[in-house]
Amino acid sequence: MSDLLKTDTSRAPGSQWIHRSHYALGIDESVEITLHIDDKEITVPAGTTILEAARKTGIRIPTLCYHEDLCVAGVCRICVVEIEGQKHLEASCAYPITTPLNIKTHTRKVRMARRHILDLMLSEHYGECYACFRNNNCELQSLAREYGVDFFRFGHPDKPRYKVDRSSHSLVRDMDKCILCRRCVRTCIDLQEVGVLEVGNRSCESKVITFGDKPLRDVVCINCGQCINRCPTGALRANDPSDDVWAAIDDPAKHVVIQTAPSPRAGIGECFGLEPGVPLTFEMNTALRECGFDKIFDTNFAADLTIIEEGTELLLRLYKALVEKDDSVAFPQFTSCSPGWVKYLEHFYPDYIPNLSTAKSPQQMFGTVIKTYYAGLNGIDPKDIVTVALMPCSAKKFECNRPEMCDSGFKDVDYGLTTRELAQMISEAGIDLPAMPKSDFDDPFGTATGSGVIFGATGGVMEAALRSVIELVCGIKVEDLFEHADIIPVRGFEGIRFMELPINKVGPVPDLLKHLVDDWSWLEGATLKVAVAHGTANAKRVMDDIKAGGKCSECHFIEFMACPGGCLGGGGQPIPTSPAIREARAKAIYAEDAAYEIRKSHENPAIAKIYNEFLTDGPCSHASHKLLHTHYMPRGKYIV
Amino acid sequence: MLVSEREQLRGNIVKWVEQYGSNRSSLIPVMEEVQREYGHISEYVMQIVADILDIHPVEVDSVVSFYSFLGHKSKGRFIVRLCRTISCEMQGKERVAQQLENDLGIRFGETTANGHFTLEWANCLGMCDQGPALLVNERIYTQVTPESVHDILEECRSTFGVYGPNAQTVMDIRDTDTSKMTFTGVGVDGRMGQDQAMGMEPSAIIDAIEESGLKGRGGAGFPTSLKWKLAAKVNDELKYVICNADEGEPGTFKDRVILTDFPDLMFEGMAIAARAIGAIKGIVYLRGEYTYLRTRLERKLEERRQNGLLGSNVSGVQGFDFDVEIRMGAGAYVCGEETALIESLEGQRGEPRNRPPFPVNTGFMGHPTIVNNVETFAWVPCILVKGSNWFRKIGTETSTGLKLFSISGDCREQGVFEYPLGITIRELLEKVGGEDAKAVQVGGAAGHCIPASEFDRAIAFEDLATGGSIIVFGPDRDMLGVAKNFMEFFLDESCGQCTPCREGNMRIFEGIEMLEKGECSMKYLRELCQLGETMQMASKCGLGQSSPNAFLSIIENFKDEIMGRVSIAC
Repeated sequence: MSDLLKTDTSRAPGSQWIHRSHYALGIDESVEITLHIDDKEITVPAGTTILEAARKTGIRIPTLCYHEDLCVAGVCRICVVEIEGQKHLEASCAYPITTPLNIKTHTRKVRMARRHILDLMLSEHYGECYACFRNNNCELQSLAREYGVDFFRFGHPDKPRYKVDRSSHSLVRDMDKCILCRRCVRTCIDLQEVGVLEVGNRSCESKVITFGDKPLRDVVCINCGQCINRCPTGALRANDPSDDVWAAIDDPAKHVVIQTAPSPRAGIGECFGLEPGVPLTFEMNTALRECGFDKIFDTNFAADLTIIEEGTELLLRLYKALVEKDDSVAFPQFTSCSPGWVKYLEHFYPDYIPNLSTAKSPQQMFGTVIKTYYAGLNGIDPKDIVTVALMPCSAKKFECNRPEMCDSGFKDVDYGLTTRELAQMISEAGIDLPAMPKSDFDDPFGTATGSGVIFGATGGVMEAALRSVIELVCGIKVEDLFEHADIIPVRGFEGIRFMELPINKVGPVPDLLKHLVDDWSWLEGATLKVAVAHGTANAKRVMDDIKAGGKCSECHFIEFMACPGGCLGGGGQPIPTSPAIREARAKAIYAEDAAYEIRKSHENPAIAKIYNEFLTDGPCSHASHKLLHTHYMPRGKYIV
Repeated sequence: MLVSEREQLRGNIVKWVEQYGSNRSSLIPVMEEVQREYGHISEYVMQIVADILDIHPVEVDSVVSFYSFLGHKSKGRFIVRLCRTISCEMQGKERVAQQLENDLGIRFGETTANGHFTLEWANCLGMCDQGPALLVNERIYTQVTPESVHDILEECRSTFGVYGPNAQTVMDIRDTDTSKMTFTGVGVDGRMGQDQAMGMEPSAIIDAIEESGLKGRGGAGFPTSLKWKLAAKVNDELKYVICNADEGEPGTFKDRVILTDFPDLMFEGMAIAARAIGAIKGIVYLRGEYTYLRTRLERKLEERRQNGLLGSNVSGVQGFDFDVEIRMGAGAYVCGEETALIESLEGQRGEPRNRPPFPVNTGFMGHPTIVNNVETFAWVPCILVKGSNWFRKIGTETSTGLKLFSISGDCREQGVFEYPLGITIRELLEKVGGEDAKAVQVGGAAGHCIPASEFDRAIAFEDLATGGSIIVFGPDRDMLGVAKNFMEFFLDESCGQCTPCREGNMRIFEGIEMLEKGECSMKYLRELCQLGETMQMASKCGLGQSSPNAFLSIIENFKDEIMGRVSIAC
């Protein structure tokens, strides 16, 4: 059985994990060490890095390659400090304190070195700040300002060295802006375990490469965009369709509809100078109308729809396995709403495609529903409808471009916008988002439920599904089992979480599902086992455990999110990201859920309505299969 | 590629992985086998290997692209590598290069249309006393002249198909006169020192080395006993003794002589170190350029196993098991840095680690590891046989003992010589007939250029530290050309991970080109010198910290010569 308790999934050598693996260094963390930084006395546990100690004291040391989410690299050298008695400057991010030191953070030597390092980076950094999407949110630019760079000491390239890679639907890579801090490499290999990016060649020929230096489209990139969120410069960004979206808005013949996912609302404030964790859901509705979108819908409606379809699919799988004794049914069922995760599975575990729920993601369900049901209701020709999806995600751009995502007869979702891109559009329209008055979502989908909202956080899909399964199957109120219907065991940021739900008694089959089963008696006494994993490195651990027949293989249902923290940490969210920022966004999401009157997907009146009016043969029926379900492609990891 | 060819290829890779072990540490040896057998490493190969070793293909790609001896591009059956480092340059490599291009009809970096020859540059082949040196596959040629180029190529052509790139080679090396060296006396039966040590307590061995004052002979001069003591202190069942035979510093070739003439001494030293720190495994990291030495070293190891000097219960000491394996480098100077060397052994790019932790604590595969230079190990049995006091009395207070010097350049007698540390440059020059030198480079490309006015300085850790590289520059040498050669070397050999070294070397190199053209202002030169200081202070490892040394010292000492030159463009 694979080792699920292993928390260190990094491939980096032990020495680069100093702040996470003190045991390997024989450092006793219980020992307190008193040291001096810029003559301030501070006491820290042994093994604390100089950088951490300095931050605790409120002393600012600039960083570039350092990132809270990643193992230490110590390569950019911008964080060097002077340690009394040592000839060389030391990188403060990589230096664990084991003895009392006397450290100076801004001596002549230090300032000269930092300035030179910036000058050197700029001597290879092609591009102009005002023509860069990271203008005003670029760590290199900020440091250049901080250190008073007012000329290019060692020159500045006037020609690009590399071709910009625009091959991917999701990401754009411009290696001319890369400063080789390797955050993307550590993100891709260590944090996400995808393994698309590494450093190739050596010396001044070094550059971040993909396998065979192929375009992103042709390698195993899952489009999660975590590298974008951690890139200090504009070398990595999402493929921005906002010009096309503006064009559609400006075209009077087009009916432009936008759906907004829960996570961007919790994050977009950061683009307008707010602290992380201030949701702007209803201010955003007003802003979107100002921008010229014809209708604003809540993706949470589709999230609720997904819960019904995916939950029903799970019940059907269980029925087949338990009642019909069909042992070909694939368990555990995997969620399929994270397109990064779906592509990860298609590449690395294609044998497990039967385990993926066939239910489309909320984004894609909504796209189909808009171009069929909504179009019909309002008498609009679907060819004139442009569907835009505001997502916290870069992989959603790829997802909406998957060739099979045309079940409405048209491209179900025309454009995927990230939180950052929409923020850009809003500011281009001269709108101060936080100051906007609040307004509601448009009918006929209205405001959805709290279950839809929590899709944005890791464990949210599972919690939403459980809320509905408990009520639909057991015939009891979730609140009877969990206070305020908060299913705490599946919440949190632990990499992999488990929960067991014994079904002690069953209720009557609700009308919605009567076409599928007569009663639930076959579930009585069973125990539903579920798990939650976020970040593909954790997904890999779960998958390897399933392969090895471990604890995860006994689960019935597993939620996977490609991004650490779930969608709220998605690759389309505002930059920067950190554990604290993600936690603040999660808080905002759970607070919004708690504020909703209706918090369970199956209680959403719009859901009842669509099954009454449109998908009349019910969940997982013929019509819903045609429109709301999909299939996947075993891609494999070999590149021909 | 046909299916059957692919199957055969896969079969070979599986075989090699079985041979070297199915973990990432075997990545480079397996890649070397592929490179030797197939002439290049294809995308298909990288994916298979990644799959078998459970790593990502891009990681394999990343490693392959790091090492000079591994590559994606198909190379010829004969890879002709001409040494471009300073000593060979001073001995006429340019004319040899010209002749190679003329004869083969290709430029450097290219392969002939018939796929027979690939022409490449190499950085220091360790034949500085008999350059220009040429490496054809694993075979080394020395003192190559434009005339002999033709013969060498003809020899290849005529043997094509008879001996492939795998053929172990005859050597064409001028012997070093070692008759007067200490090693000759002590190394006579290959066990004297080891036998002596096995009668001692491990701590007594360390004490003896401490008393001798032996310091690292690779150039850094870290006290050997302290390194051993730290490793001995750590509680771990698995510890490693690694011999750094990645001799790559331009102008250094004394390890090559030890590896050729005194391998027993080195192995003795390793076994003694293992006994001292409690290690059970030894690894010799032999630079790829010295592949032609591998078979003899393997034979020597086998001989020692047969004689009970390696294996289990070594030298009859119950419970002391120790064996040595040879692992090949793949053409990367930076792997001479001990943590880069360990990274390389672990199947990674040869990129130096952050320190602390130090290898004595967290080394190869996370276990306590000592890494010592070939010569350091060779002195260990000598010290035990002749006594710590004997060693301590030679040299200076802080730089005790004898040292091998690799001397090349503008002097009558080039070669490897044994002298006490503390010897002045002037004394050295007198011994080798280089009295009219205008400068001496001490410590190779990473060292300092010393002008005649400072020839009374001593070669010792407290003054001019060196791993043994001494390059003599006669009165007519163009010092800017020397600086350029050294910077060219670093431009190729920097690992590229940290900013000061990766970009700094480039900027300094460009500065030298500006100086050549007479386009560099005094102001900009000052900027570059300050940049050099930053590189010395802020680079991650010793390579970056020392890469501007040559430039800075040449500018400092020969500013008039350099600034006063007439632009070549004129």
